[in-house]
This record gives sequence, C-alpha cells and structure tokens, in this order.
Amino acid sequence: MNSLFPFGLDQTTIFYLVLYVLTLVIHWALMAYVLAGSLWLAWATVFPGSGSVPRGRQPLSLRLRDWMPFMLGGAITAGVAPLLFVQILYRHQFYTANLLLGWRWMLVIPVLILAFYLLYLLKSPLLKQRPQWLNRLASAVAAVCFVFVAFCWTANHLLSLNESHWPVAYVGGPLVAARLTLIARLATWLAGTVPAMCVLAGWQLFKWPPPADQESSVRPADRLALLSCGGIVLAAGSAFWYFQQLPAPVQQHLTGSAGAGWLGLLIAGAGLQLAGWLLQWRQHRLHATGLSLVTAGSFGSLLGIALLREIVRYSQIDLTLSREVLEVAARTGGFGVFLIFAVLNGLLIFYCVRLVTSRDRQPQDSSSHQPPVTDHR
Amino acid sequence: MSEFYPVNDYGPLMPGLVMAGVAIVHVFLAQFAVGGGMLLCYFQWLDMTGRNSHARKFVDGYFRVLVLISFILGALTGVGIWFTAIQVSAPTIGEMVLRFHWLWATEWAFFCLEIVAGYSFYRYHRQLSDHARLTLLGLYAFAAWMSLFWINGILAWQLTPGEWLVTQALADGFLNPSFWPSLLFRTVVCLTLAGLVACIVVNSMSDLDRDAQRSLINRAAQLMIPMVLMPFLGAWYLASMPADSRGWVLGGSPAMMLFFMISVGASLAIGGYALIGLVLQRLYINGATASLLLLLAFGATAGGEFVREGSRKPWSIRHVLYSNGIRPEEVAGLRKTGSVADDPFPLTRDALYPNDQLRLGAKVFRRQCAVCHTMHGSNAVAHLTATWDSSQMRMNIAKLQHTKPFMPPFAGTPAELESLVQYVRWSGRNQPLNWPTDTCREVLAQIETWLEEAGTAPANPDGEPERHQHDGEPES
Repeated sequence: MNSLFPFGLDQTTIFYLVLYVLTLVIHWALMAYVLAGSLWLAWATVFPGSGSVPRGRQPLSLRLRDWMPFMLGGAITAGVAPLLFVQILYRHQFYTANLLLGWRWMLVIPVLILAFYLLYLLKSPLLKQRPQWLNRLASAVAAVCFVFVAFCWTANHLLSLNESHWPVAYVGGPLVAARLTLIARLATWLAGTVPAMCVLAGWQLFKWPPPADQESSVRPADRLALLSCGGIVLAAGSAFWYFQQLPAPVQQHLTGSAGAGWLGLLIAGAGLQLAGWLLQWRQHRLHATGLSLVTAGSFGSLLGIALLREIVRYSQIDLTLSREVLEVAARTGGFGVFLIFAVLNGLLIFYCVRLVTSRDRQPQDSSSHQPPVTDHR
Repeated sequence: MSEFYPVNDYGPLMPGLVMAGVAIVHVFLAQFAVGGGMLLCYFQWLDMTGRNSHARKFVDGYFRVLVLISFILGALTGVGIWFTAIQVSAPTIGEMVLRFHWLWATEWAFFCLEIVAGYSFYRYHRQLSDHARLTLLGLYAFAAWMSLFWINGILAWQLTPGEWLVTQALADGFLNPSFWPSLLFRTVVCLTLAGLVACIVVNSMSDLDRDAQRSLINRAAQLMIPMVLMPFLGAWYLASMPADSRGWVLGGSPAMMLFFMISVGASLAIGGYALIGLVLQRLYINGATASLLLLLAFGATAGGEFVREGSRKPWSIRHVLYSNGIRPEEVAGLRKTGSVADDPFPLTRDALYPNDQLRLGAKVFRRQCAVCHTMHGSNAVAHLTATWDSSQMRMNIAKLQHTKPFMPPFAGTPAELESLVQYVRWSGRNQPLNWPTDTCREVLAQIETWLEEAGTAPANPDGEPERHQHDGEPES
C-alpha cells in the first residue's frame, strides 16, 4: 500500500469497498444513537441525580427514550447493506469468524429481540405505573444487551482478521487471541458512539425543543457538549491504546501513505466536533452553525475511522479468495436495477418524511409540528 | 474457489433443523407483514368510503400489532436467517449473495422504504389526514410486497435455476420457472395470515360489541377468498419443479409427502372455514378459534417450507452446489486428492479416536455428511446404516447417488471412504477404546471399482426419473 487507501487497489475492489464503507457509516451513526443512548438512559435512570428534575426525565433522556425503537429499527435495516457487501469483499473471513463463534454469535439475535422489546417497554406508559426499580432494571438490561452485541461484533471482527488463530479457536481455545486488543477496540467503539449520538440528539433537541415543564438546571447544549467531548477524549485514548496493540507493519500502513490522509481526516473531524460543541457550550444553547460543524466533523471522523479499519484489515488478511469472489461479482448483473430502485425509494422516503413533517396534517394538529415526546399509545 | 469452513456440532440437532426452525418463524412473520400491509390499505379504504365505521380504530390497533411483532421479530429473524444460513452452509449463502447481491441490495432499498413508511404511520397516524394515512399504508404495503418479490426470485432459483445454468444471465436466474407460481402462492398465503391475525385483533377490541366485531371479521375474511386459487397455484408450482424433486413430494419420500399433506390439509381446513363460515355464512369467530386457525396456518407454512427445502436434495442449489457444499465439478478431483486433505481445522476431540483412520473418517463425516446428518441424533447415520455389513456399507457409500438418489455422490478417495465406513461402524458400536486399522488393499481396490461404476455425476443429472448409468446394475 504505497498510495492513499484504497486507490492502490483494482477498480472492482474500490467500487465495492466504497459502497461498503458508505453504508457502514450510515449504519454506525444509527447504531451509535442506540448504543450510547441506551448507556445514557441506564445511567440516568439508575442514578437520577439530586436536581429538581431527575436525569431520566430531562429532555435528552425523554427524546432518546422516545426515538430509540425507531433508531434501532433503522440501525438494523441500515446494517443489512454493509452485511451484504462484507460477504462480497471478505466472505471467507466473515463466514469463518461467524462459524467459529457459533452459538455465541447466534445469541446476538435473541439478545437484540429482548433489547428491542425493552426499548418499547421503556417508552410505554406500562412501565411508568410500575415501581421505579423495574424501570431501572429494564434500562440497565437494555444497555447490557447492546454492549453485549457490540462485544460480539468486536470479537467477530478481530477473529476474522486472525487467520492463523482459527484452528486453535475451533478446538476450543480462546476465541480472540489478544484480549487486550479486544478490550481496547471495544472501549474505542463504546466511547466513540457517544459523540455520534450527541450529533443526532442535538439536532432533535434543536428542531423540536423541549416544553418549558421539562427544563432542568442543566441545559441540553451543555449536557451534550460535555458528553460528546468526554466521548471524544476517551475514544482517542482507547484508539491510541488499540493502535499500540497492532503489529508494527500495520501501524506503518496506518501512519504511512496509505492511512495518513484518513488519520488526518479522523483527527480533523474530532477537532471540528470539539470546536462545534465548545461554541454551543459557551452560548448555552444549541444552534444550527454549531450543529452543522459537529455534523461535518462527525461524518469526517466516521469516514476516517471506517477507512482506517479497512487498512488494518487489508494489512492482516489473505485476499486470494476475496479476489476470486470479486472477479465473479464484477461480472454479475443487477447494479442498474439496484440504482433505479435505490433512487426511486429514496424519493419515496423523502416524500414520506415530507408528508408527516409539513403537509396533510389534520386541522386540529396543524398548529404544532413537534413530534410529541410521550408515547402515542 | 475452494473454501474450507469450520463445521459446528449441534449435538442431536442436524444443522438443517436449526435452519428450518429459524426459517419457518421468519417466513411466517414476514408473510404476515406483507399481507398486513395490504389488509390495512383495505380497511383504511373502508373507513374513508364509509363502508365500516369501526375500520379506522381497527387499523390503528392492527398496526400496533404489526409493528410490535413484524418490525421487531420479523426484522431480526430476517437477520437471524442470514446468520443461521452461514452456520448451516456458508458456501450456499455465499453463492446466493455472490450471484444476486444487487437484487438483495434492491430488496434492502425496499426495506428502507418499508421501515420509514411504517414508522411514519405508527408515529403520526392520529395527526394525519385520511389521504396521508392511505398513502403511507399504500407505500408500506408496496414496499413489503416488493421485498417478497425480490427474495422470492432468489429462493426459487435454488430449486429451479432454469436457463441461468446455460446463460448465467441474472434475469434468467431471477425469473426462473418457479418464480411466478411461488410468488403468487406466497401472496395468497400473506393475505390469509393477515386475515387470520385480524380476527384475533378484532376479538381483543373489547369496547366493540359483537355486531361490530362480526362486521370487521367478515371484512377481514374477504382477504382469504384468494385461497380458492391455492390448489391451482400449488399445482402450477409442482409442475414447475424438476421431475425428481416433484417425485419426492408426491410419494418418493414418505417424510416429504407427509409434510406436503400436512400443509395441504391445514390449508384446506383454514380455507374451508374461512370461505364457508366467514365469507358465505358471515359467521363470527372467537379469539380462541382464530388462534387455532393461525396455528394451523403456521403448520401449513412449516410443512410447505420443509417441502421446498427438502425437495432440492441432493442439491442446495440445483446443479451448482450439493447439500454438503461440494460443487459437482469438484467431485472427480476430490476422488483423487481427497476431500479433507486441505482441511485446516483439527478435530475437536482428537484424543477420543483410537487411530488415525478413525480421525480421517471423522473429518470426512464432518466435511461430507454433517450438514444433513448426525451420528446418533436426528437423521442419524449410525441408525440408518445399522443393518449394513462393512462390505455393503462400502458399496452403498461408493454408489451413494444410486443407493439413495437424493444423496450426492461420494467425493473422496477410496481410503477416505474406508475411513468413513470404519468411523461409522466404530460410532455405531459405542466408540470402543480399541479399534483395528483396516488397510486391506483388496478392499480399497473394490471401493475404487465401485466408485468408478457409480461415476461422479448425480443420479438425476437432468431432473429426469432416475436412470442407472450402468446396465445390469441391481437396484439398491
């Protein structure tokens, strides 16, 4: 890898890689909202604080609780596309890691189902009428479920990179050879989801500000700025730790001509986010300029980390089989069909959003375009 | 492309059963979601045209059920089926993704529309005008049915790849011989499931009186009228199947015929009750009976999916990939080089085996048999071969595709076959601590002769009724 990744690769690989990375970034953004959101909700519910409004009833918590089921649905749906492309790009590694994890990997599905129902339960009036400990338990269990899923994906990814370890893992040895690497990588992800969640939650709270009765001593802008900056610092520390665990040749690729540009984008993105949040924190309010800055920064960071992740992968795995698969994939038709329906459905999705945000409301509701925070049921 | 994947041991469950369990649940939920969209459009229209004053209330209640069941369980079992397919046969799902990834991506584009339209309705339905409600429901129903449209073509290709085998053209593979009958049949199933769930939902609306509930149930039952087409669509589907696959379903395989009959019987019971009781006589149906009918529908779905999966044997993708993940063009080569010579994965309980021949046999079993068989659990090889002596077992495995035409040809060397025979016999005798190594040259030479007689082609290469390749060979 002597040029900026992935430009040194063949056209077919670049094509699928770009699609994979872009769809993965969309999935990550939604996934981050759910993972970091569930962690915040668990914290806010278990430790309500001593303020006049408990943390669990403050605007950020209410907004997260209200939107989490939809965001999880979105994250799962958005995850289908990168799941498809990973099977074209790295099918041998991905399938083998799945198989080696076996039933432990399959647990992801029931755990996600449990977490999904818990999210609905958390926003339903059903739980509000029950003892508080039940609410805390549901919040904590949901967060643990999502952390477990993050752990499984991390283990799966690390296992897929370590081909020489596969026979040992198959006969019951440790599934992931280097546990410190696993911890460092998982910590990077967990911390990294917080700033991404803050961007989406920030826009929601900006577009639909909370009613006066939900105001608390801590303003949403301050809260989000603190969370996001803390997340960025923690993620940077964990990422550096993870970087130190990587073999020297991989480190050289990341800091050399292949990865330096993306590393720069990642750092610049983080810097932009810090600046955007600082700006809003100083004014104690969310505003479009600040949020636009953090959005651009977040996209840059996610894109940068996604490409650096692929550089690590390309430095470690045998791509002989992948090249054969990609050759066949390049001859397979259907891209035109996908493109037509992707555009058409994109327009229809836009139409749906327009329909519910600005048009065709019934007269009695036309005065308010805010989505109600409380559950409709 | 030669790929080795680790094979997991699921104890008494063969991997195929694990797959069937997840697949049946997902298909049932997904078909309910597709039919539910169409049913909701119909009821929204009933409300807007003043044909039923309770329709609006029903739509809102039904959609909540749809979201809580289909959007969660349906979506996640959909991901689960992908993960399970990898566990069961990574080469199969890999080939399907490779050949149809753009159509799968197209299906994903419809998932996105489905989820946005669905959640938009779920979240804002009380604030929207009638027109906006119908638009969102219409988009949801369209997207849901289109997701069925795309996946149906990919699944149907596994059984009837048709002209694709020659042209390799995407359109030939997708619009294969069983595409249309399968799509139409599934659409009728979707409507039926949606109608049955509607009967349960109506019964849960306790604030409606009996007449109001009956009026809604009778309307919902109208979605089950297309069930009268099921016999014709089923016959069309059967006619589109390859002759050998059709033969398994219509008596060639007792298990498959049994499941087929369960599916037909359950469908008849549901259809009869719906058409005569609910549509013609306009009867009321209580929640318990409706639940029972839905359970029957689950049985019919399970039977139908079992038949669809089972009738592909010995293929997982017809003429492309055998059930054990070996390609037909690989068999001749593997007869020379061995099927596990490049297997990088050791045995999980290596010390258990008294000698290397049994270790080799265990690996051959894992590579060629374990996807459909266990040793002592379901579809147990030890049980299936219990009455065979060694010589008979050698010949039957060497001529496997003729012994049982829904089995693939043995794809290994004579030494591997002998090791497999020894492994099966050792396992059948409760794995004694001592077991002699059998390396008799005459035995290996006889196995080689049988393998040559059997050839490397499947028993029914063209889907015609079974023809033995060697004249005068006795029926197995």
